[in-house]
Amino acid sequence: MTTFPRRRGVKAAALLASLGLLLSACSGDDGAGGGGGDLSAPGPEVLDDLDEAVQVEFWHSMDATNGQVLDELIEGFNAENEGRVQVTGSFQGDYDTALANHRAAIQQGDTAELIMIYDLGTQFMIDSGQTVPAQSFIDEDGYDTAEVEEALLNYFTVGGELRSFPFNNSTPLMYINRDAFEEAGLDPDSPPTDLAEIREAAEDLTITDDDGTVVQYGFGAAVYGWFIEQFMARAAVPYCDNSNGRDGRATEVLFDDPKIVELVEWWDGMIEDDLAVQIGRNTDDGAAAFTSGRAAMTLESTGSLGGYIEQSDFEVGAGYFPLIGADDPGGSIIGGASLWINGEGHSPEEVRGSWEFVQYLLTPESQSVWHAGTGYLAVNTEGYNGPEAQERAEEFPQFSVAANQLADSEINENTAGCMMGVMSEARVAAEEGWETALTSDATAEEAMADAAGGVGRTIEEYNASVEE
Amino acid sequence: MTTGPATDRPVVSPPSPRPPRTRARSGRDALLAWGFLGPSVVVFALFLVYPLGRTVYLSMHGNDIIGRPNRFVGLSHFAEMASPEYVQVLVTTLLFTVGVVLPGVAGALVIVLLLEGVLRGQKFLRGAFALPFAFSVASASVIFAVFYSPGNSVLNGILYRLGLDQVPWLTSQEMALWSIVITTVWMNLGYGVLVLAAGIGSIPKEINEAARIDGATGPRLAWDVTVPMLGPQLFFLIVISTINALQSFGQIHILTGGGPVGSTTTLVYSVYQDAFAYGTSDFGRASAQALVLLLVVLVCTVVQFGVIERKVHYS
Repeated sequence: MTTFPRRRGVKAAALLASLGLLLSACSGDDGAGGGGGDLSAPGPEVLDDLDEAVQVEFWHSMDATNGQVLDELIEGFNAENEGRVQVTGSFQGDYDTALANHRAAIQQGDTAELIMIYDLGTQFMIDSGQTVPAQSFIDEDGYDTAEVEEALLNYFTVGGELRSFPFNNSTPLMYINRDAFEEAGLDPDSPPTDLAEIREAAEDLTITDDDGTVVQYGFGAAVYGWFIEQFMARAAVPYCDNSNGRDGRATEVLFDDPKIVELVEWWDGMIEDDLAVQIGRNTDDGAAAFTSGRAAMTLESTGSLGGYIEQSDFEVGAGYFPLIGADDPGGSIIGGASLWINGEGHSPEEVRGSWEFVQYLLTPESQSVWHAGTGYLAVNTEGYNGPEAQERAEEFPQFSVAANQLADSEINENTAGCMMGVMSEARVAAEEGWETALTSDATAEEAMADAAGGVGRTIEEYNASVEE
Repeated sequence: MTTGPATDRPVVSPPSPRPPRTRARSGRDALLAWGFLGPSVVVFALFLVYPLGRTVYLSMHGNDIIGRPNRFVGLSHFAEMASPEYVQVLVTTLLFTVGVVLPGVAGALVIVLLLEGVLRGQKFLRGAFALPFAFSVASASVIFAVFYSPGNSVLNGILYRLGLDQVPWLTSQEMALWSIVITTVWMNLGYGVLVLAAGIGSIPKEINEAARIDGATGPRLAWDVTVPMLGPQLFFLIVISTINALQSFGQIHILTGGGPVGSTTTLVYSVYQDAFAYGTSDFGRASAQALVLLLVVLVCTVVQFGVIERKVHYS
């Protein structure tokens, strides 16, 4: 499969999903409905004296390069655990599709042993009650999480318990075209740090031809809801109420905060004044604008760094994700996905086997391979000292920026991010509000308030349906 | 279809070679008929009747977070569709459909008629024009995504060299739908050319000759003779393109994802969004919209049969 735009599967995928739905619908009503089952972690003894290896199916959303690196790790684990645990990776399409497939599997009572679910699905996974909480394994084995990136534990800890295992995670950065900076007489070693500075730099970086057509824009990034979440964390503003949904169920989103209105107005002004190129919501278009040299600064996940370096014919620089105002405290939240071990409908051997595999993935050795091969954060920070990671850091010092940005980030409820069952819809609503302000006469304030208000109904419905 | 038992057929001549039909015989016929019908009945029931029934059922139920229907909500999902958002979706669907069908069919007709005048290389040109038909929706959409890409659009590059203004192909609420229409028309053109070229080949030569003798040439000949003779093919093409346009999904999904701000969200795309996108599984709302789509397709087809088909001349 070629890499398709973010959260866009192929028609076939949707078709398959709907077919799955159709088939699942046949048995939907009497599927794995109620509770039951043992949702606590079994000890290592269940894997003693096995007649044959325990089979673990692992559903994930990693394709292309990332998928290959993951397959290598799976092979490594299987080789070490012959006759004991055998993991089979299964690509399920993008994150949304994987979640839809997982829902269908729950209906049929046929979930995979181990699944990768994106950050936005965390509250849903908790509410669906199918998985063994990560904390349970940690307590059972006395597993030490001291080496695990604190910002990640912060995000995936809900109600004082770690719910899932962070694995493929990233944080967004600001990328700059170092060559363009030098040509414009700017210092590429100190990229702009807030909106005002970006605008100032963009005024120098934007190049217009004799007819007034812009040939190089100062700035250009996709209208991507994750950035709003990031901007809010850096401004120490919660994204949803009840302390970002951590003290109780969130009932409203707060992305109509004056800080975000300021951001959207700034963005609109940049486009209006031809300092930024209008990208739209597709992050691939943002990437293309940057790597082709059309936009000299952009925002994207740290996971894009490798690709940017490879695809650009200029030197790529990376800096911290910008602040809205110079006085904002900073801080950073994460994105990406985590691993969930299904308990409902699975034997203790399968559950234990999945956990053994997760432990293998979290070793410094695996994380060094993973970080160097994909650009994702090393979940186990010891991974940065591994030979593969070291080699990569020497070649591309930009790789350390993301780790530093997280290390500099304070751990609090704002940087934990919003925990909410309809987070995915909230993100889309934020994007729509933002885009409305950019593409119509509506003011940023109206557009963001409308969008935030619209999420209210969805939250209410979700909360009602899980409390029934 | 000649399936049912044919017992009431009058026996005309007494010296019939066949023995008179008996009840047992007709029972065997019926059995045989059902035996032949059986497989298709099963397939229809399984893939048409059951899903339709299930859709109606789902449309009147709310879901739990897994997507299982868990409460009866009556027609409230349909009532919700009386909102400005859904009206906008219907308007977008209508604009898209008209925008795709009219230029698509007219374009194919013009191409085929012009090709009639080309004597050398006609087959090659027909093949060339029919080629878009061979592209899958996904690959055609990806190609157009490159043409339209906001940062560095190929089309804008050409416009720039011609000294023309840049077009916000996919990033403007006004333009995005038409960019998808252009893509879809291009994709459909090949099929139209194929169907009409086949049709034009089957027009008897005598008719053209007779018209020529009567003094009709060029546009007159095309409009008064060839086009009416292509009636059945044109009608077929209009009906099929309308249904296809109403069900278009891939190009919207790949090019805009329904945006900016819902400006390219058609009914099908709205169904997809409610059922599968953004981690939701609101099968109730999605099913209700799917039924509305079914109704729209049905009404369009019935109207087309009622209005246009009457003017079609089947030779």
